[in-house]
Amino acid sequence: MTVAGPRVDLDQAEAAAEARAAAVEAEVVEKAKAEAYEAPFKPSPIGWFFRVALAAALVALVLVFPLDRPLSDVRLFSQAAIYAIIGLSLNVLLGYTGQISLGHQAFVGIGSFTSAYLVTVQQWPFAAAVAVAMAVGGLQALVLGGVALRIRGLYFALVTLSYGTVASDSLFGITRFTGGGSGQSAPLPSFAATPHRYYYFCLLVLAVVIWVDYRMMQTKGGRALLALRENPRVASTFGIDVKAYTLFAFVVAGVFAGLGGALLAHKNEVVQAQDYNFQLALIFVIMTVVGGLRSRSGVVIGSAFFALLSSGYLIEKAKVETLFRFLADNTFIPFLSKEVAALVLGPLLLLLTLTLYPGGIGQQIRPIQRWLAGHRFNLHDRGDKEVQISDVRA
Amino acid sequence: MLRGRLGRRRSSRLRPATNRLGPLAGLVGQPRRLLAVAGVVAVVGLFVRLELQQAVVIGLVGGAAYGLLALGLVLIYKSSGVFNFAQAEFGTVAVYALYVLKGPLGYPLALVGALLAAVLMGLVVERLIVRPLFDSPRVTLLVATAGVALMAIGLQFWIGEAKLRRIEPALSRPDRIAVLRQNVSDQQLLLVAALLALGVLLALFFSRTNLGLAILGASQEPVATELAGISVRRLSSFTWALAALLGGVAGVLFAPISGTFGPGELTRGLLIPAFTAAVLGGMTSLPGAFVGGTLVGVAQAGAISYKGLEALPGKGTVIVFLLLITVLTLRPQGLLGSRA
Repeated sequence: MTVAGPRVDLDQAEAAAEARAAAVEAEVVEKAKAEAYEAPFKPSPIGWFFRVALAAALVALVLVFPLDRPLSDVRLFSQAAIYAIIGLSLNVLLGYTGQISLGHQAFVGIGSFTSAYLVTVQQWPFAAAVAVAMAVGGLQALVLGGVALRIRGLYFALVTLSYGTVASDSLFGITRFTGGGSGQSAPLPSFAATPHRYYYFCLLVLAVVIWVDYRMMQTKGGRALLALRENPRVASTFGIDVKAYTLFAFVVAGVFAGLGGALLAHKNEVVQAQDYNFQLALIFVIMTVVGGLRSRSGVVIGSAFFALLSSGYLIEKAKVETLFRFLADNTFIPFLSKEVAALVLGPLLLLLTLTLYPGGIGQQIRPIQRWLAGHRFNLHDRGDKEVQISDVRA
Repeated sequence: MLRGRLGRRRSSRLRPATNRLGPLAGLVGQPRRLLAVAGVVAVVGLFVRLELQQAVVIGLVGGAAYGLLALGLVLIYKSSGVFNFAQAEFGTVAVYALYVLKGPLGYPLALVGALLAAVLMGLVVERLIVRPLFDSPRVTLLVATAGVALMAIGLQFWIGEAKLRRIEPALSRPDRIAVLRQNVSDQQLLLVAALLALGVLLALFFSRTNLGLAILGASQEPVATELAGISVRRLSSFTWALAALLGGVAGVLFAPISGTFGPGELTRGLLIPAFTAAVLGGMTSLPGAFVGGTLVGVAQAGAISYKGLEALPGKGTVIVFLLLITVLTLRPQGLLGSRA
């Protein structure tokens, strides 16, 4: 293309182009300067020392602290690890797909009874029984989900609630399967025959579950789950099969719950039907929500906290029972026994979480997590994740 | 003026389409009514065939309690779109209040006090839980009401301890009349009468009063209702108080029939059947809640006394679960509900 313009114009154009190039260059230099100024924060050696020290203290609390504890305490620690698995199971459902299960005691309980029945009555090896418990958990999720996921949201919660009571009233009343009122015995596996060994085994399983959960969320399926939680309609226009992926998440949650149930059975060495009631299902939901949806560390901490609270361990160790006794003796406040404490404090924490701190524990510990990972400490650092319970959609 | 507007809108919505069916239109034009009648006839026929007449009577009485609770559930679902899992706890709280107050105040005044306690709980729940979460998704509110239910149960375990308490009925004669060779006590008659009376009163309230029309308006078009100068939030507290009152009535009339009560008993026994009743009725229909409660009650009583099912534990719960699943898969809008 030839434009025979006057020479003056060409000169002007050249000058303008030069000016523009200079401006771009200046911008690049400035950007580089700014980048140099805001170089990624690197902790000093002392900073690293404190970070490593805190991390080591946390690891020691989990791994070393239980070593010299009495057996009854170690059983409770195992329970905390198992509750964390159950919490992660609910997190898959509630956190990733926004569907709520109010009947999770059924999945956990059926896992418990399946494993106990196979090991005690059928003399199966431990590993095979746990595998079958997981499969059964996944299978019932598949069947129930196939029916219930035609209706999402509120009705799904209702169906799972109803299913939970069917399990506790009917299935757990079948004496041949559950051993009747005295329960079905479930011995510790031979490779972890002491409560201490079993505790470390539970920790190992929890680590595997966390890893599987983490890897799952990196896959196409995981991204699809996150997309369909944000907005199922938009997700379906992007070609995501909403029903199939929700069902997939439900099955994963069922498998995790079956695993948690099986571990719980052998932790107690006996499974009794009355332990799996409506209150337990609500405690499971509460520990997941209070822990913080979609925050693995938050859910693990929340679940462990509620396991220790509902078994009375925290109340006992914090010596608050004397305070409760004092209040009961001197005021009109009745005595709050450690068995009931979780039923009173749990819902209170849940309602506080829902109304004031929707991100739960996960959001609260986020600054510490970021600091441990080598960032500057910032109390208001919520990271890149904006966590809200309001993401749970009907 | 508002009443006129809302009334006009309703009537135009409900005006039947031009019919070409002549005299049959009354029945065919109302397939829902036909379906409900056919369902009831079929169930009663089946029961008589299986010699379960007495179960029909037991089920009708039990169904009245489900219906009362379901009315409250429907009311709250209509007004705020929430599944209220704490509905049965309104009843339990009322029963505890009745138990505490009947000594010093006497039974009739204690009944009033118990209902006031339930209403108070409804108002507190609305103010502290529902209102702060007004704009949040419905599932969040569902979790919150489930939390309220567990909290109420926890408080009952804390203050009332884990033991059964005796509560005598308001009217004590156990065999007032016999229907189909099944004795019906005064208290059971009172329960059924309360359901009928409250059902009629609610129907009149929603069709004849400004307040009732305003609640209906708020449930259908909250923004337009605000624009018409009605505070939707204030209506919300009124609805919760009303629903709590219904729950309280169900509690104080139902619990004394068995003679004893314990922590969380009504949530365990009544909540899921009541929800199933509401879903059966279409979740937004007050007459539907009534019909649904009756159906669930009769089906449950039938399953429990049917001889072929004796080996299965927890029959009552299983049949309710099956009913719920069946309705949700085959007819999710319920028997009397309209398709969304």
